[in-house]
Amino acid sequence: MKHVIIGAGVAGITAARTIKELNSNAEVVVIGDELFLPYKRYLLTEFLCDSIQRDDLLFFSIKKLNELGVKLRKGEYVKSIEPSEKVIKLHHNEVVHYDKLLIATGGRPGLGLVLRPFKKHIHFYYSLYDTLILKEKLPEVHKCIVFGDGVSCLDLICVLHNLGKRVTYITRGERATFGLEEDDFEGDLHEFLEEKGIEIITEEQIVSVEESDQGYKVETIQQKTLTTDIVFAWDFYKPNISFIEGSAIEKKLGILVNTRLETSEKDIYSAGDCVEIYHPSIKGYWINFGLPNALEQGRVAGSNMSGQNEEYKTQEAIVFNLMGTSLKARWWR
Amino acid sequence: MKYSEITIRFCGIAGDGIVASGKIFAGACANIGLHVMVNNIYSAEIRGMGKSSATIRFSTSKLYSMGDGLDLLVGMEAKESIIDLRDVKEEGNVFYDTSTIGDVEEEDSLVSHITPEMQGHGLPIQKLANEATGTNQGKNLVTIGAICYFYSLPPEMFVDQIRSVFAHKGEHVIDVNIKAFNLGYEYFKEHYPLNNQFEFDKTSEPMALTSGNDAIAKGALDCGLKFYAGYPITPATKIMEIAAKELPKLGGWTLQMEDEIAAIGAVLGAWFAGKRAMTATSGPGLSLMCEMINLSVMAEIPTVIVNVQRGGPSTGLPTKVEQGDLNIALYGGAGDSPRVVMAPTDSEECYSGIQLAFDIAEKYQTPVIFLSDLFLGQRIETVTIKENIDRDRCTRKKPTSEQLEDFQRYQITDDGVSPLIVPGKPGAVFSTTGLEHSIKGNPNYEEEVHSMMTAKRFRKFESIVEDLPHAVILGDETADIGIAGWGSTIGSILEGMELAREQGVKTKLIKSIMIHPQRENLFRKFFASCKKIIVPEMNYQGQYAALLKSRYGIKPIEIHIPAVNPVSPLKIAQKIMEANSELSQ
Ligand SMILES: Cc1cc2nc3c(=O)[nH]c(=O)nc-3n(C[C@H](O)[C@H](O)[C@H](O)COP(=O)(O)OP(=O)(O)OC[C@H]3O[C@@H](n4cnc5c(N)ncnc54)[C@H](O)[C@@H]3O)c2cc1C
Repeated sequence: MKHVIIGAGVAGITAARTIKELNSNAEVVVIGDELFLPYKRYLLTEFLCDSIQRDDLLFFSIKKLNELGVKLRKGEYVKSIEPSEKVIKLHHNEVVHYDKLLIATGGRPGLGLVLRPFKKHIHFYYSLYDTLILKEKLPEVHKCIVFGDGVSCLDLICVLHNLGKRVTYITRGERATFGLEEDDFEGDLHEFLEEKGIEIITEEQIVSVEESDQGYKVETIQQKTLTTDIVFAWDFYKPNISFIEGSAIEKKLGILVNTRLETSEKDIYSAGDCVEIYHPSIKGYWINFGLPNALEQGRVAGSNMSGQNEEYKTQEAIVFNLMGTSLKARWWR
Repeated sequence: MKYSEITIRFCGIAGDGIVASGKIFAGACANIGLHVMVNNIYSAEIRGMGKSSATIRFSTSKLYSMGDGLDLLVGMEAKESIIDLRDVKEEGNVFYDTSTIGDVEEEDSLVSHITPEMQGHGLPIQKLANEATGTNQGKNLVTIGAICYFYSLPPEMFVDQIRSVFAHKGEHVIDVNIKAFNLGYEYFKEHYPLNNQFEFDKTSEPMALTSGNDAIAKGALDCGLKFYAGYPITPATKIMEIAAKELPKLGGWTLQMEDEIAAIGAVLGAWFAGKRAMTATSGPGLSLMCEMINLSVMAEIPTVIVNVQRGGPSTGLPTKVEQGDLNIALYGGAGDSPRVVMAPTDSEECYSGIQLAFDIAEKYQTPVIFLSDLFLGQRIETVTIKENIDRDRCTRKKPTSEQLEDFQRYQITDDGVSPLIVPGKPGAVFSTTGLEHSIKGNPNYEEEVHSMMTAKRFRKFESIVEDLPHAVILGDETADIGIAGWGSTIGSILEGMELAREQGVKTKLIKSIMIHPQRENLFRKFFASCKKIIVPEMNYQGQYAALLKSRYGIKPIEIHIPAVNPVSPLKIAQKIMEANSELSQ
């Protein structure tokens, strides 16, 4: 039985381990498009500010993969799936056959139509690759503009500030909330950031980014012009599932799965940040981002792919898992 | 990552521009003062689609061998490159084409064989090449552009080289190749912005490039080669090609004969007529020449035979390296048949050594077999050759006027060397034959004559020793571990010694271009000072080790590598470490 897993993040690797632990004879191939060994994305910030070393990011070593008998193919992008033939196609036209397939491709920041033309001047903060580039650039950077939402955006603002950079945060909202409920914090997040010296520009939006003599020139929808050394921006954070286009796998924003993490297509499962799953409390499908979900879904999917019958239990509260204590532990001390 | 040395292999099929890649790289590196060594490997079959690879090692310091492992494998053709993945270092990189047409099954895909220890990087090689050239050509330049960005090398070094390599093909070809280079560069800049740094001194002087075959041909021409006869054979043909091009300009001749026997026959004839002459061949050719070598010994007609060794026996492995012809060079032929055997260790020695070979052959009227090998012969490397041009050079022992009066072509002398003249001198009549002969050259089978003449032919070798360069001792003279090697293996030995030194183990090496005869005292002294002796060589039997054992009574640790690739320095270092731990037990 050949198990193929697309995505070498925490969900994919956890599934691979689960399959091998349940059946050591199973053939397991994990295909991930990042250039690195599986790492802990949630520790990137610690790595960026040098509180941990690169080795500490490692989620699974080669030794561990070899011991388990999991074949990792890194740096390879899956470009399409043909469930009827039970094959996937890689970016270099290689065809890989599977008996059971797991899609665990996570999510990624993206740019809308307005900012897309300026992509080459804009930085994301999502992967180890982004972080390594950032690490090289940061010594030359004094002023930063951050435009986006979500907890990783807050994470970025805090680390830049802690590294002594002047940070300007631009948000479409009336206040800086990062999609968090304010009472999760002791006090007010917006004011708290301003007190720390972070400039917050509300009800604004970047419309262009151009190179200039002093780094970059940023224009906003309210026709403000700002200069900066580096621009971080993203309009949304969405599942990496463009490659399932034309495959008949049902999707909304993410891949739709049942509680066994099965997709609409036979023998294809999905787990982690790329998944949309029914939530009984909100009575609808939603993407439950975050590390704990990804780990648990990886485990459940791996187990079901090995013939078990496990159900994934959705969380009661609709909150990002990081939000509570771990965030506090990392930044507010 | 920061680098001061990088090894890259382009792997594909004939037509992918693999050899041109090596050439462009070598020229580009040499022009900016880097040390570079390029080893081309291609399939023996003369057919369009054979495997072809060029390995390029460049460094800020002198290189002695191809080293161990690849920092980057450029898989221009997936299937052919799969096997070469085993040479990629841990954390090494692999470039592969993402734009090949049609589906590829997992087992045929280069990418599916890349292990997690390595790093694969896809780029649309074919697509970018098409975009630049409108044809399938230019794939190599696309990848060179990508490499240039990947290792932060200055693009001008390649652009200048593209201009010079394609100069004869016109502006259009230059332009499309530069475009292909730029597309590869830009692709990597966009997709893999995090590049590596190759750090070097940008003010270094340009270096000269040569191959062993080129150096042999040039050395021979510079010391008065007038006649070349040969029969084409891989990997020696290049020497004949150079002779064919250059000799006529110098008033000389090159003849392609019907086979190797005819070739050496013609060469003996030229020497007999007083002209410096040479042939170059490889193992199978040397086998055919054995009888004529005997004639050279018996008739005391000088001759120089270059043998660029390849894998054997028989037709063997025409495009792979081996040092398996030492025994035939030393002993091939009937009777007691002494000959000089030399083996250059690098391109510099190919140049100076072949000149010495001519001088010895002519002075001592003996065959000299000059044992190069495929790796040394074909690799292109940066060198500092000290030119020595004297095309009227003559080391012949000419007769005095008294000797001419009653000319004894095979006169018995103390040093075994008899006076030599070009036939046709009035009054100085002699005959020359492969039969045993008297001092006048007339056939004679008497016991005393045969003993006397055989002794005379061997006595020459005692005299030759006086003319020989001293062996060189390299490394740490106080070391207990000594290494004796020969030919191109010396480069790997030197790097193996360096690896061992980095581990705190001292070694020394005795290196001599002379295999037979040798200045034995120096060797004896060297061996006496070693507690362990290692003799690595590229053949199954340990042919050099056998010679040293019988000559010096030593009991070395032998490393026999019936090679297809140049010896790995790491392998030698491992043996050194083993010897060292035995010593410390
Ligand atoms: C900076 C940062 C900090 C974070 N901090 C926290 C935190 O503190 N706590 C928390 O709970 N969560 C945190 N998160 C979120 C958390 O990391 C994710 O929820 C989690 O990694 C999701 O795991 P996953 O395996 O589903 O997806 P991922 O970790 O995103 O892995 C998916 C992998 O699949 C690859 N992939 C995508 N498409 C393809 C394809 N077509 N072919 C091959 N490979 C593909 C992706 O490149 C990626 O490597 C953070 C995220 C970021 C970016």
